[in-house]
Amino acid sequence: MATEVILPRLGQGMESGTIVRWLKSEGEPVEKGEPLFELDTDKVTQEVEAEAAGVLLKIAVPEGEVPVGQTVAFIGSEGEDVPEVAAAAPTEEDAQKEAQKETTSSEPERAQEAQEAPQQATIASGNGRIKASPLARRMARERGIELSGIRGTGPDGRIVAEDVERAEAGGPTAPVSAPAPAPTGELERIPLSNVRKTIARRLTEAWQIPVFQLQASADMTRVNALVARLRERDPDVRITVTDVLTKVCAQALMRHREVNAEFTEDAILLHPSANIGLAVAAPQGLVVPVIRGAERLSLTEIAGVRADLVGRAREAKLRAEDLEGGTFTISNLGMYAVESFTAVLNPPQAAIVAVGATEERVVPVGGEMVVRPMVTLTATFDHRAVDGAPAAAFLQTLKESLEDPGLAL
Amino acid sequence: MPELTYREAVRDALSTAMRQDDDVFIMGEDIAEMGGSMGVTAGMLEEFGRERVRNTPISEMALAGTAIGAAMQGMRPVAEIMYEDFLTLAAEQVVNQAAKLRYMSGGQLTVPVVFRTQGGAGWSPGAQHAQQLEAWFVHIPGLKVVFASTPEDVRGLLWSAIYDDNPVVFFEHRTLYPIKGDVPQEIEPIPIGRARVHREGEDVTVIATGRLVHESLKAAEEAEGAGISVEVVDPRTLQPLDEETLVSSVKKTNRAVVAHEAVTRMGFGAEVAAVLQYQAFDWLDAPIERVGAKFSPLPFAPVMENFVVPHADDVLAAIKRTVGKG
Repeated sequence: MATEVILPRLGQGMESGTIVRWLKSEGEPVEKGEPLFELDTDKVTQEVEAEAAGVLLKIAVPEGEVPVGQTVAFIGSEGEDVPEVAAAAPTEEDAQKEAQKETTSSEPERAQEAQEAPQQATIASGNGRIKASPLARRMARERGIELSGIRGTGPDGRIVAEDVERAEAGGPTAPVSAPAPAPTGELERIPLSNVRKTIARRLTEAWQIPVFQLQASADMTRVNALVARLRERDPDVRITVTDVLTKVCAQALMRHREVNAEFTEDAILLHPSANIGLAVAAPQGLVVPVIRGAERLSLTEIAGVRADLVGRAREAKLRAEDLEGGTFTISNLGMYAVESFTAVLNPPQAAIVAVGATEERVVPVGGEMVVRPMVTLTATFDHRAVDGAPAAAFLQTLKESLEDPGLAL
Repeated sequence: MPELTYREAVRDALSTAMRQDDDVFIMGEDIAEMGGSMGVTAGMLEEFGRERVRNTPISEMALAGTAIGAAMQGMRPVAEIMYEDFLTLAAEQVVNQAAKLRYMSGGQLTVPVVFRTQGGAGWSPGAQHAQQLEAWFVHIPGLKVVFASTPEDVRGLLWSAIYDDNPVVFFEHRTLYPIKGDVPQEIEPIPIGRARVHREGEDVTVIATGRLVHESLKAAEEAEGAGISVEVVDPRTLQPLDEETLVSSVKKTNRAVVAHEAVTRMGFGAEVAAVLQYQAFDWLDAPIERVGAKFSPLPFAPVMENFVVPHADDVLAAIKRTVGKG
């Protein structure tokens, strides 16, 4: 009996994923635990490993979006028969995509088609869901017909069985979505990846939140000395300034728990532990892997976790759980020539700190002008959860801890 | 084929069983000389005598308990509860005793009793004499529940109920007593747990009980005039339920209406709808429609009673909604 390979749920709330490519081809032997295909979710692109050994008998879904739980392939012994698989059910997102194609298309051909059949596409209801009866859904699934291309004639525009039959018989269906060739030398169109869509959605959400920024500069002389000393002692670990920042932020959050917070409809939640997210520029876009319980980790431990997360982020190998549960975020553009910047909140977290470059600045010390390595921290706070004074106290702790890291350790 | 009224069909089942079997007897309030408040047992005292046609005091609890005791001793009593509204008074005996004893005795006891009762609106008996409470008893493990809608069905099902070794609550509808229908010459037992397809159709299945079977058949006639082909199915026994027949009918028509005279809320139709949506989910092309009484005590005033309980036009409207022609 062939083993079904089903699309796994990689994280809470995951409804579907996009198969990017298969790492094995049909007929190829597969070991249990070997990477089988690449899956793009709204959070990560991840390799999915085989859960059974044998021969990859059939790839049911070569690529594209698939709902969680659907069979995408079969693994079994050579020559074994494979059960029939229903065609991939179009997911809601597919439907939305189709609907968007309908409305955003600007080629004359498509526009003309749209004119000829002005009502052919089902108007998706407010949340993008297409109304269709269970029977109509099953028929469309079995016959490989996209619901998004069918006009519903039932109550409230519901697609009923008759509509699917009509569509199959050659009635108005959505035009085949052949991508139009881009006009050469002009506009380049980059389709949105799931990660990009998530970034866009979450940042747009974050923009609705009333925020304020506080800024402070810290003298990094002692942090630099500490980092140099630790590297000297243990060259293999390669402690970075980010690791020290992670540690002092975690300690400061534990002292100012009102910042380690989350605003909800009826309560403000104060997290018991500091799970520090690090904004990382990964090839597919911004990702924020999380270092959990950073207040309890030593600098060496933090460096180990950070190196693993950042490394996998750059190779697009983060797992969904690497990205969950953050309570605070550090966004560090210090490696670029950025003096200071403001970061957009990473909801539901109530605060984020933007770290600029450490640079030599002339500062007055005891009435003298001296040159010191200075960094500017700009923290953004969710004002619904945190007021100015506690936020300022937090930032002050952060500054003092950086200037005298012994205080935080 | 002889023609009998529903009332005569009930009486025929009782009398035939009593003629062939000394263990069968009937008891109830005013069932002897008066022949019962609905005249069902008229003339039976003369044939079977006071020992087997027993008047009881006006205590439903006492008469139900007595019947249960007799059943445990090996008799097959048929106890008449004059109005199903009064089953509330017998509920302790029916629900806590009759339904439980076989289970609690590990099968050492059986309770082959039938509680015959009747109810229903349509003749202005008011809020305390016309309810449809069948759903209450379907909710009790250990009881079988029958609700027959035609002379043939009521005779064949009552026969099966009398000879069933479990307690059966047997509902009759007041307004059905005078209706006439063909019945087989000899009583043909109708198995408990088997639905009846009254009319075949393609577009929508109406699952109806009691009086609403007849209303649904009328609605189906009218729907046919509008080009809608309606299948009408009567489960006949509500517990156990012939899920297979109901589900296969809905898989064929892809649409369902459930109809009963009882209040819609928590009615028997809710259970049927749940069974259908689960077993035929991928076959449904429209939401399951429910037809039942409005959520109100039944009014005395005929015009108001008429307003509260459902009729053929309510079923027809539901049929039309399911096919998108509402």
